[in-house]
Amino acid sequence: MPRNSVGMLVAALAALAVLGYTRFGAGDFGASVIMLICVNALAAASLRFVMLVGELNVATAAFYGIGAYVSAIATVWYGLPLPVALIAAGLAGALVSVLFGYVTLRTKGAYFLLVSFAFAEVARLVFTRIDAIGANSGMTGIFPAEPLALWYPTITVVVAMALLAGLYGLERSTLGTVFRAIQNNDSVVQSVGLNVLVVKILCLAVASFVAGVGGALHAHANNVISPGDFSFLVAVFALAYVKIGGEGHILGAVMGAVFLTVLGQYLISLGAQEAIFFGGALVLAMLILPDGLYGIAERLTRPLLRALDRTPPEDSVKRSTAA
Amino acid sequence: MSAPTGTAAPVLTAQGLQRRFGGIMAVADVSFEIWPNEILGLIGPNGAGKSTIFNLLSGFYRPHNGRLRFFGEDITGRTPSQISRKGLVRTFQHDSLLRDMSVYDNILVATVSTVRDRQARHRRVEETADLLGLTDVLAELARNLPHGHQRMLGVAIALATRPKLLCLDECLTGLNLTEVGRALEIIRQIREEFGIAILFVEHNMRAVMQICDRIVVLHHGLLLAEGTPEEVSRDPKVLEAYLGSKR
Repeated sequence: MPRNSVGMLVAALAALAVLGYTRFGAGDFGASVIMLICVNALAAASLRFVMLVGELNVATAAFYGIGAYVSAIATVWYGLPLPVALIAAGLAGALVSVLFGYVTLRTKGAYFLLVSFAFAEVARLVFTRIDAIGANSGMTGIFPAEPLALWYPTITVVVAMALLAGLYGLERSTLGTVFRAIQNNDSVVQSVGLNVLVVKILCLAVASFVAGVGGALHAHANNVISPGDFSFLVAVFALAYVKIGGEGHILGAVMGAVFLTVLGQYLISLGAQEAIFFGGALVLAMLILPDGLYGIAERLTRPLLRALDRTPPEDSVKRSTAA
Repeated sequence: MSAPTGTAAPVLTAQGLQRRFGGIMAVADVSFEIWPNEILGLIGPNGAGKSTIFNLLSGFYRPHNGRLRFFGEDITGRTPSQISRKGLVRTFQHDSLLRDMSVYDNILVATVSTVRDRQARHRRVEETADLLGLTDVLAELARNLPHGHQRMLGVAIALATRPKLLCLDECLTGLNLTEVGRALEIIRQIREEFGIAILFVEHNMRAVMQICDRIVVLHHGLLLAEGTPEEVSRDPKVLEAYLGSKR
């Protein structure tokens, strides 16, 4: 059995198990943790997707927040159905990110990091200044329409999985190869006739669509949003998920989100000191787990995969993800 | 100055190129042509302006003065990717690779802008790798290749776009004698097979004299001499620039 089909089978079974558990086994508290994991995983995957072109995009927090507000406006003000709200949130995130990226993606490295940080904070301050969306106190009563309420956790998991699968597909496509090429050496990419700025904007737009939908799911899971939920810390936590989970694979972002979100539930009683543990976990992970949780999982399953498939995994060499 | 191919129109015309960096005049006033199917050498002592010329031709720098025409079309001020899509493609002296990616992906990226079909891209990658002797290392990461292969991969990336004018920036640096011989053979073969013009910047004078049809000599940002390898190597001005004058 080729390893790709094994991977697909395992992924499908795991997806079904999570969905079944979410709907029938988890209970209210369990479901809320699972939803939190989903939105965190989406934020992490969005941040990581822009890391493919070599940039650390703190503005992920802004697009996440824009998605949250747009979806809340859609369902609370206009009574639109949830799917419409989710799509509107994703499109709003993507659209704003295109404008932002067109101006800022000409810079890279530390400069882009700083600009994106500034953008995240400006977006948060803008949320606090608009009275119509509740200014500092934010919006309340954000619920999915009644027939869907019972299924909302399940929907969250399905949407998150679909978006993660989409990001993974894009990463594995030729477009993903071009993303990594830009991370490696953007001059070479220009010299072979590709418009680096356009490709980077495209990457940012896709990532921001996902961040926007993540924000929308967050808003409807939490029922309450306020500007404080969308500070640059959203991106910092996303970075922690990516680093601890392992940035070499999108599953690393998911693993990091699962691990730290569950850990966070135990640490929540510590209040503000919670952040110390996240910081500590991040430092420890960088020191002792350079490839993150995904790296460990890969090492543990390697003998099993080798037994399943005797041929050398040439594809994984060809497409090995840059560190 | 005479065109080697008689009546044909030039592939590239550079007219009065000028580029300053602060107070330094890197390229003061340089004009030359590249003719179809010729290998033109661009030489000059360090600091003569060779790399600046390269960056001007490929659009990485904008000239402060002067015009560039490619097959008669004005390409002055176009971006690197626009110029590349027209068929003027350069390699890089340093940092010419996607280091953390496989050789296959390095070449694949170069096919994206010119080839739409997946299968055709795959064929293009294999043909290009074959021509440059990289077929056996397609799955290796570029950074793990021996130096000689890395140099050839730099050429492969440019060639995979199937350029009309291939600009090679010191692609022989660090190669041993056998590798230089092999590389020159490959470059000749590229010219035969694709019928393209090649601009060749190189410090290795023996290689330049061997392979170039014509040579342009730069010195202090100005054109010092132009002609066949024999003419240039006998030119007293060239000897003076390279060896210093007798006092």
